[in-house]
Amino acid sequence: MLDEYMNKGIKDVITKFPAVADVLEQYNIGCALCTEGSCLLKDIVDVHNLSQEDEQTLMAQIAAVIDPGRQVEMPAARRSPQAKPKDMQYSPPLRQLVDEHVLIKRWLALIPKFVESLDVESEEGGKLILAAVDFIRSYADKYHHAKEEEILFKYFDEDSDILRTMRADHEKARSHVRAVLEALERRDRDAIAEHLNAYGELLAGHILKEDEILYRWMDRNLSVTQVGELFSKFAEAEGKMDKDVIDRCKKFVVKLEEEIQEPGKKVTK
Amino acid sequence: MSEFAGCPGSKMFDFRAKEETQEETQTVDVKSQLRQWPIQLHLISPQAPYYQGADVLLAADCVAYALGNFHTDYLKGKSIAIACPKLDEGQDTYVEKIKSWLEDAKINTLTVLIMQVPCCMGLLNLAKQAAQASERKVPIKCVVVSLQGEILSENWV
Repeated sequence: MLDEYMNKGIKDVITKFPAVADVLEQYNIGCALCTEGSCLLKDIVDVHNLSQEDEQTLMAQIAAVIDPGRQVEMPAARRSPQAKPKDMQYSPPLRQLVDEHVLIKRWLALIPKFVESLDVESEEGGKLILAAVDFIRSYADKYHHAKEEEILFKYFDEDSDILRTMRADHEKARSHVRAVLEALERRDRDAIAEHLNAYGELLAGHILKEDEILYRWMDRNLSVTQVGELFSKFAEAEGKMDKDVIDRCKKFVVKLEEEIQEPGKKVTK
Repeated sequence: MSEFAGCPGSKMFDFRAKEETQEETQTVDVKSQLRQWPIQLHLISPQAPYYQGADVLLAADCVAYALGNFHTDYLKGKSIAIACPKLDEGQDTYVEKIKSWLEDAKINTLTVLIMQVPCCMGLLNLAKQAAQASERKVPIKCVVVSLQGEILSENWV
């Protein structure tokens, strides 16, 4: 029975056996909060790079939940043979992506206050909303997500559940942005607030998954040669980006932070 | 005998007490992964064809003697140069050659493989100096090997 569930998506497993989420939580594996949860149970150990001891204890605990009171043969979890130590630092290209997350997270932290003061009636208010959309589209999506989708993900099985989940997050983020623009045309303040808040929650979880799980898993599986290639391809992609756009995006966040810290100070695009 | 107070790199150790097992002493034909000559950093040309776009290994002289799987785990697929940051003279030339790897040979990555003794860190410092002076950057990894061939750390610089 356990063997059967090893090949099922973790969300399905948790739905049928909610106690599995508690077991995973003990190992800081937050699958219950994942937006997709389509990673297979057998892949969880590899993706989270548990020690052999933790892996055995975890699987025994899950077996006790799924097949209580029965002696079960422990299915082997899949583990990459070239897996490297858990405490390894990010490689330079993945460090670059983690660093880019910092500016995005600064923007995400501003969203709750930003939506409180949304102004859909004035031209100035409309421009500010468009500036936020410009940041999301230019920096978070074109500059950052494009490096992942067009370069980084190509080094892995793009049909794998974990990468499908990441792409799905990107698509959801894009749909929220489209919805913000549509709502702005209708001057629908509530809908703009709803979609920006949803975007913020989605991206915060997405970045956490990437920083703590995905990138570390990728680094454990990338060869030195591949790290060098990624570094060069990222540099090439950056060379094609308009530096003024990146500067504009950075200034947008800095100015918005100033506005929120000093409410009297107006932010314009 | 008084406690050794000199350079840690010269401190004497005797590892004979850790006898090898029968299995470990069986003769195995390990194929050399060296794909170039010369290898000493003063002798190499940084623009030699085997450095172009390559993953380059800059190893301290002692590493290959300490690290049992040097050929299969570290040299395989890479171009190499060796040097001793403690004893070699003319280390300004080393910095220039490493810089030339980055800028002229456009190497893909640089792995600096050093021993745990403090003086060996000088080789990593030479690589860092060259990288700082170079307009073109590449990922640099530093691997530190213990006196008995264990990998103590493996980090991107």
